[in-house]
Amino acid sequence: MKSIFKKALAFALVATMVLTFAACGGAKNYAADNTEFVIGVSGPLTGPAAVYGVAVKNSAQMAVDEINAAGGLNGVKFKLVVTDDQHDATKVAANYASMLEGGMQVSLGTVTTAPGLEYTNLSVEDNVFFLTPSASGDDIPKNDNGFQMCFADGNQGAVAADYVNGLGLKEIGIFYKSDDAYSNGIYEQFKDKLDDSIKTVEAVFTDANDKDFSAQITTLKNCKFIFMPIYYTPASIFMTQAKDTVAADAVYYGCDGFDGLAGQFEDFSIIPQEVSMLSHFDSNATEGAPAEYIKKYTEKFGADTLNQFGASAYDCVYAIFNAMKAAIDAGEKIDVTISPSDLCEILKAQFTGDFSYDGVTGTDAITWEDNGYVKKSAVKYTLKTANSAQ
Amino acid sequence: MASNLKNIKWKHYVNYVVIAVLTVVFAVMSLTGSLSSSSIYMLEKIAIAIILSVSLSIVVGFLGELSLGHAGFMCVGAYLGGKASVLLEPIFGNDILCFVISIVVGGLVAALFGIVIGLPALRLRGDYLAIVTLAFGEIVRSVFMNSSRESFGGSLGLNTPRYDKNVLFIFAFVLLLICLAVTQNMIRSKHGRAITAIRDNEIAAKATGINVTKYKLIVFTISSFFAGIAGVLYSFSNYTVQSTKFSYNYSIEILVMVVLGGMGSINGAIISATLITFLDLKLQTILTGDLAVLQDLFYALILIILVIYNNAPALKGFREKYNFKTVLTKLKLKKAHGPGHVNDDEAKWDRVPTKINMDEVLSVDIQPTSHYTPDKPDKED
Amino acid sequence: MKLIETLLNGLSIGSTYAMIALGYTMVYGIAKMLNFAHGDVIMVGGYMIFVTMSAIANPIIGLAAAVIFCLLLGITIEKIAYKPLRGASPLAVLITAIGVSYLLQSTAQMIFGSAPKMLILLDLGNLEFGGLKIPVYTLVTLGCSVVIMIALSLFVKYTKVGRAMIAVSEDKGAAQLMGINVNGIITLTFAIGSSLAAFAGFFMLLKSPSLTNTLGAMPGIKAFTAAVIGGIGSIPGAMVGGILIGVIEAISLTIPAIAPYTDAIEFLILIVILLVRPSGILGKKRREKV
Repeated sequence: MKSIFKKALAFALVATMVLTFAACGGAKNYAADNTEFVIGVSGPLTGPAAVYGVAVKNSAQMAVDEINAAGGLNGVKFKLVVTDDQHDATKVAANYASMLEGGMQVSLGTVTTAPGLEYTNLSVEDNVFFLTPSASGDDIPKNDNGFQMCFADGNQGAVAADYVNGLGLKEIGIFYKSDDAYSNGIYEQFKDKLDDSIKTVEAVFTDANDKDFSAQITTLKNCKFIFMPIYYTPASIFMTQAKDTVAADAVYYGCDGFDGLAGQFEDFSIIPQEVSMLSHFDSNATEGAPAEYIKKYTEKFGADTLNQFGASAYDCVYAIFNAMKAAIDAGEKIDVTISPSDLCEILKAQFTGDFSYDGVTGTDAITWEDNGYVKKSAVKYTLKTANSAQ
Repeated sequence: MASNLKNIKWKHYVNYVVIAVLTVVFAVMSLTGSLSSSSIYMLEKIAIAIILSVSLSIVVGFLGELSLGHAGFMCVGAYLGGKASVLLEPIFGNDILCFVISIVVGGLVAALFGIVIGLPALRLRGDYLAIVTLAFGEIVRSVFMNSSRESFGGSLGLNTPRYDKNVLFIFAFVLLLICLAVTQNMIRSKHGRAITAIRDNEIAAKATGINVTKYKLIVFTISSFFAGIAGVLYSFSNYTVQSTKFSYNYSIEILVMVVLGGMGSINGAIISATLITFLDLKLQTILTGDLAVLQDLFYALILIILVIYNNAPALKGFREKYNFKTVLTKLKLKKAHGPGHVNDDEAKWDRVPTKINMDEVLSVDIQPTSHYTPDKPDKED
Repeated sequence: MKLIETLLNGLSIGSTYAMIALGYTMVYGIAKMLNFAHGDVIMVGGYMIFVTMSAIANPIIGLAAAVIFCLLLGITIEKIAYKPLRGASPLAVLITAIGVSYLLQSTAQMIFGSAPKMLILLDLGNLEFGGLKIPVYTLVTLGCSVVIMIALSLFVKYTKVGRAMIAVSEDKGAAQLMGINVNGIITLTFAIGSSLAAFAGFFMLLKSPSLTNTLGAMPGIKAFTAAVIGGIGSIPGAMVGGILIGVIEAISLTIPAIAPYTDAIEFLILIVILLVRPSGILGKKRREKV
């Protein structure tokens, strides 16, 4: 008998669902009732990758608050919506739809690459502009509505390979995460562009064994130069475990994922090796716009979520804001109820035009290529020199 | 003849009718454009979740074997079905044909793996089988994750065609109805009774001449076939298939749906899959920004409270006093059944205590020195 | 030389798994439930050490605080989430265990945030043996797991409470008839299991100093695999299984061609072992049913 009631319950349930679903639909402008410009972003706010999503959320909110405090865009304020995708591509569609139906007009895309691939395809359907702070996959800006604030993985790999080729080394070590899109993307391009004369020793890890690197350290211990296209959490574990095994005059060389590494250690000098990275931002910057951003961020949210993801998101919000302002100055009409698609056309014209932006992750006029890749200078930051050199 | 018509147990078919009617309603709404995208995503997800939970339910609820590798079968289906579709699209250029072939391919390959995993199930029981299925799921995931960029996309995932979302969920519901028809008919047939007999007492089942090997393999095959189909649907409802999704966590999510729905209840599996997917998506999209951290907290609390409420022996009296049925009876909406009422619904196994407690089964030891022989003390130690 | 190095790495990886597996197997052996929240109790232990260490910079005090806290936490979880379900389907308990696991993870994120906490407990350095460098933490972890293994085995075999535990695991009903407080014994089992989790948390942090709210999740599953390989419920089996998994992982990671497939290989070996020995290496042999 119970099943009859279950069915009745099911019926009641789906009937309510029909009613809730019937609420709205069709290709309409959900932003028609907006009183503020709505910026949306989907990122991992919980789960293992949460630190990146939280950094983006904090920084973007900080930028939005600053813009609003300064009067917004001709008096119209901005609102930020951050949804949680847990670094899971299947959650993106629902996030995207709910943000769009909630009036999102412009977006920061996703924080990480895997969900970003989904977002890229979804957003082109409705022609929603996005400028992603940190989804660095090469395919992310493949449609003309997508732009990146970070370097694409392939470019990072190529630039790093150029640098390594110039060092005149005979053998290098590579340590990467084989089940990660970011790490693999850089690795593949790096290997491709690396001189054939340079011998490589490779070690990998996966999500399931990122706590104990003793096997990988044994493989890499004789390398004097180890290229590590990975994020800073596993890097910090690797360095701590390898500090006595890898030669003290070896060099750890990473990409923008290394940023935040120094903040992990109370005393970075326990790592005897040199640590450097190729990045667009350094969390230890002491002067200029980056230092100002770091000061503001640390005061508000503390130092433990400070990394280049956040800095990049901060820039994204300002870049979009500046581009909107520049468009208005150029005679475009941007209303608070503008549809995402109309705004996308305006912003696309700006970003592929001669719009440039000076920010935290690039202080010398960041511009964008027509294919959505960012054009700014990558700087080699030495996070720490070798102890023996001091 | 009229009495024959009356004797048809309509309640057996209510779930088909409800789902079919809803499918038609949603299809009309979708084609007239009055369904929002977020609703369509939700419907897609609900249909996939129901197929998954119903197909797992026949293994866990009816056969009584714990499987933690359902996501693995789904993964196989998603990748192979998706790949089939990628390869076929330039040949046929016909969406429907391509769709159907991919579904069949994904389902069949997953079913093949089901047989492979069903084989150890003949030798292992309980938690050992659970860990083997979990291991299978992780192996599949790891293999696809490390595949080359050209074959299955590796860590970037496989790009699959994304069928028109306004139509895809209708197909998903049609497949769901097929899945339901197959499983429900199997369970209600003599085969279904054989399967539950194996669950309740394997030795007794064997003694009555039931071919345990055959039935175990059949159940695993059918279950993984539909999991594979759910996987293909999944790959069509996303632009990319990424193997990270198919971890043991996802298998557990499906298991939660089955257990919450009540072991051995297909309708329960349907309802709980719907509710959990709905809840999950709503929590995900409503709790944004700083509140996102509450998602898992709410989910966990709801889970714990529901399971305890549904299962705790101490709450039995309370449950019977305040459940939906009694409330309705009190409201005189439904005629109360007397104490003599016998439940004659063959398809309803949920009153039978489910025997996942493998140790009780395993401890039926035939050895003469067994410490379970009451009048002989254990000589071993 | 290379082989010895690889084996040593295997011991290093395996000793942590063994440590975690001991807790898993203890709870499973007596209470007959897969405690999926075990890995998260490890994480809580880790955070407790972190909190204590930021007040008093002494790892031993940190460990003690973590053990006490996890013990209490284990009892609380058992009382609230598992005890009401005693007598219900074991699957229901499995689901609440998963619920508890989510609950602990999200609570930890709410309190401590999402950023990893770096905590270097002790720098134990390396021992050198003719060119071989052996990290001291490997030896310490291994030594402690062996001590704990022996202590648990002796406790279960020779104390009254321990024998009561065996009785409960064999037959709850009969144990109750013999005057054993079954509920009390199961609670005690959880208390022991959770304090073992605190130890595991300590040794994990000793090796890999980065603390996040998912610290215990994946190692928990690996350790569970180890416990099954060794024969779940068998205390020495957990040790053997843990070391075995560690050695397999180390060997596989050293061979470049198969390194990315390490997880698959481990699980494949698990399946093979279970097919050959359906109840694990040291598990109780049960006659196949007719």
